[in-house]
Amino acid sequence: MNPPRNRPNFFEHLHPPSIPAEQARFRYTLGLGGLSVFFFLVSAVSGALLLFYYSPDAANANASIQLIQYHVPFGWLVRGLHYWSSQALVVAAGLHLLRVALTGGFRAGRGFNWLLGLGLFLVLLAANFTGYGLRWDRAIGPALLVGTNLLRLVPLLGDSLYAAAVGGAQLGEASLLRLYGWHVFGLMLPAAILVVWHLFRLRRDGGIAHSPSAGQQTARIARRELVRRELLAMLWAGAGLVVAASLAPPALQGPLDPVQLSADASAPWFFLWVQELLRLGDPTLMGIGLPLAVLLLFALIPYGLDRGLQLGRWLPADGRLVQSLVIALSIAWLSLTLMGALR
Amino acid sequence: MTGHRWTWLLAVGLLAAAAAVAGLRHSLPAYAEYGAEAPVPLVPSMTGQAEYCLTCHQGIEAISASHPTEAFGCVRCHGGQPLALEKEAAHSGLLGGGNPSDFTVVEAACGGAECHSGPADLNRDHIQRSTTSLQATYASAIAAVRRAFGAQTKPEAHLGISAVTDPHITSSTGLADLTAFSALAAGEPAPVQLFGERCLSCHLQAEPLQQPGYQWLTGCAACHAVTNWQGTYTGEDPTIDRTEAGHAAFHQLTTVIPYAQCDTCHNRGNYSLVDMTFHARTDLPQDGSAGREDAYYQPIAQYTACEVKLDCIDCHPAAEAMGDGDLHSQMDQVQTVECRTCHGTPSQLPLTRRLSADTDPALRQASLNSHANLALGDTVVVSPAGDALWNVQQTGPTVFALTAKVSGQNYIVPLVAGSGCEQDPQEQSSSACHACHAVEHD
Repeated sequence: MNPPRNRPNFFEHLHPPSIPAEQARFRYTLGLGGLSVFFFLVSAVSGALLLFYYSPDAANANASIQLIQYHVPFGWLVRGLHYWSSQALVVAAGLHLLRVALTGGFRAGRGFNWLLGLGLFLVLLAANFTGYGLRWDRAIGPALLVGTNLLRLVPLLGDSLYAAAVGGAQLGEASLLRLYGWHVFGLMLPAAILVVWHLFRLRRDGGIAHSPSAGQQTARIARRELVRRELLAMLWAGAGLVVAASLAPPALQGPLDPVQLSADASAPWFFLWVQELLRLGDPTLMGIGLPLAVLLLFALIPYGLDRGLQLGRWLPADGRLVQSLVIALSIAWLSLTLMGALR
Repeated sequence: MTGHRWTWLLAVGLLAAAAAVAGLRHSLPAYAEYGAEAPVPLVPSMTGQAEYCLTCHQGIEAISASHPTEAFGCVRCHGGQPLALEKEAAHSGLLGGGNPSDFTVVEAACGGAECHSGPADLNRDHIQRSTTSLQATYASAIAAVRRAFGAQTKPEAHLGISAVTDPHITSSTGLADLTAFSALAAGEPAPVQLFGERCLSCHLQAEPLQQPGYQWLTGCAACHAVTNWQGTYTGEDPTIDRTEAGHAAFHQLTTVIPYAQCDTCHNRGNYSLVDMTFHARTDLPQDGSAGREDAYYQPIAQYTACEVKLDCIDCHPAAEAMGDGDLHSQMDQVQTVECRTCHGTPSQLPLTRRLSADTDPALRQASLNSHANLALGDTVVVSPAGDALWNVQQTGPTVFALTAKVSGQNYIVPLVAGSGCEQDPQEQSSSACHACHAVEHD
């Protein structure tokens, strides 16, 4: 007996048979979740390619990146794609989080997936930070110093966290292997698990958040159309990554000397807000307390902070508290980042 | 479906355009600008590590015969990133910008026991000597000005351009340390403060004046890298702008330092203690075309024929110009060469030394000069301080011959003894000898 024709292929099968047309529109999702998955995959594949040349020891790390950048055929492109896909991933994932918050996507039993997404976002930030550190050039020194010293301030666990991150009593050559271990395994494994879990949970929760009252009358699009749109978005985003990698290659300076950290270099953009916060007051309060409080606030959004019911559209009227909170925090983050960038 | 088709075409077109941009970047690397078709590797024998500097800097002159490119490469002295093929990345960590001999980085660039911060007895302490020399500390001028305006009563120097200590004093006039002059400037008399503001542009760590005729580099290169009047590079490195001032004429270090190099600092005008201003010479043509005699001698100056024919380094040995390793207060504490050093006195021939050991620094200094022909066992003139004037050789019982270090010209040195010269051996000042031996200058 021949297998039935027109059965969905593997890629189609990763998608639901159909989704509501209104929530499949670009102006609703901005394509951010899908783009995040795409950027994650580009980052993972390009990262895997970099593993073939990168040397995670202090004496050779920087030189091995020079080798990738200047002597491995198209090494510069792979490194550029890795860098830009990672930056794009943090941006897309962050905006996705905002989109979900501002459309009430965490409602109707989707609280756990909101937590998974939040956790995934933190893992991605850590991956971005450790990846930045793997550059092991002069420029990373200050951010590495400030970032790892912050860990020390975590109540009770501080010293253990610090030792786990830097691989010794202080920042040194052993820290590079720690950064490497965390980056390619310690963070990538949970990231991969969380990505799959997040997507699985999305299907289990009934697909993209939409209004349940609309029922079966809602117009829906077939998965083939969804895949088509995703492919288009990937082509656009892929072209953008290639252009960015070609025209704005990631910076690279001479090797880091962990003993003599230069103070004149500035932090990576995603770290600027921490720097600015630290200027405002007590490091434990500003560097640990405040970010943890914000994180807790975000985690509590589906668990008590928000009691609204409306789903599937921007800025539902019964979610003003969460919307104001998220927008205010975003503005605060943006201001701190801009202040840091302009300093 | 037509709409769909256009969306697809646009997306695919964009990707193709992006691929074209990437292809262009791949096929037109940064170094293509300088004519290279592929990276040019160099594996210097001293480091064994590949470096690609010559990809862009192809054609650059070898720095000197003592530093062969095949052995030293570029990175040992210049720092920077050996594998990078783009300017900004490759120059990250470059020592002293284009000048690794600047005193802020000279130890990292030129230092090392086998290089230029080795033991004094092997004459390998070039960095120690030059960084403690009066040309670097400017201590003599600072002390003289402070004394003139009542800031100190004794002639001994206490202040230098930067703080420096000397743990190994070898001479009777050597100082243990100098404090940085600027650090105390606030408490100084007004004229001394003015001096500090306006008159510290002539020492080895100063920012050179950016004017034609004043073009010299800092650190060792001030003397050892020859500059032209405009300070432009005229060598074969395609990356260096040939119209930009502030460069040595060639990427070359030399011990054959022509008088014109000394002139870039020592003979461009005078500092006036009256208005604490530098008064540039007005008698020099502005295009640097002055002849040797005019360039060196200011109007009304007196000089003898030998001074015009020779270069500064023919009479002033390395220890005088580069220092003897001690911190001194005054120029005459290190400058001991006088007319009688080569010409003798009515009753004495010049002081000499027979080169009996192959470790004699005179032999190594001479080996760097293509005109020199000095061998173990030869006898050379020495200064009262004991420094060899290895280019003045005793060739007979009463015959002394000078080989000019720059031109290679040979001269028989006229001796005072038996010549009828009325020299008083104790009167060696310029005016004493010039009383008879001055040549006319219009």
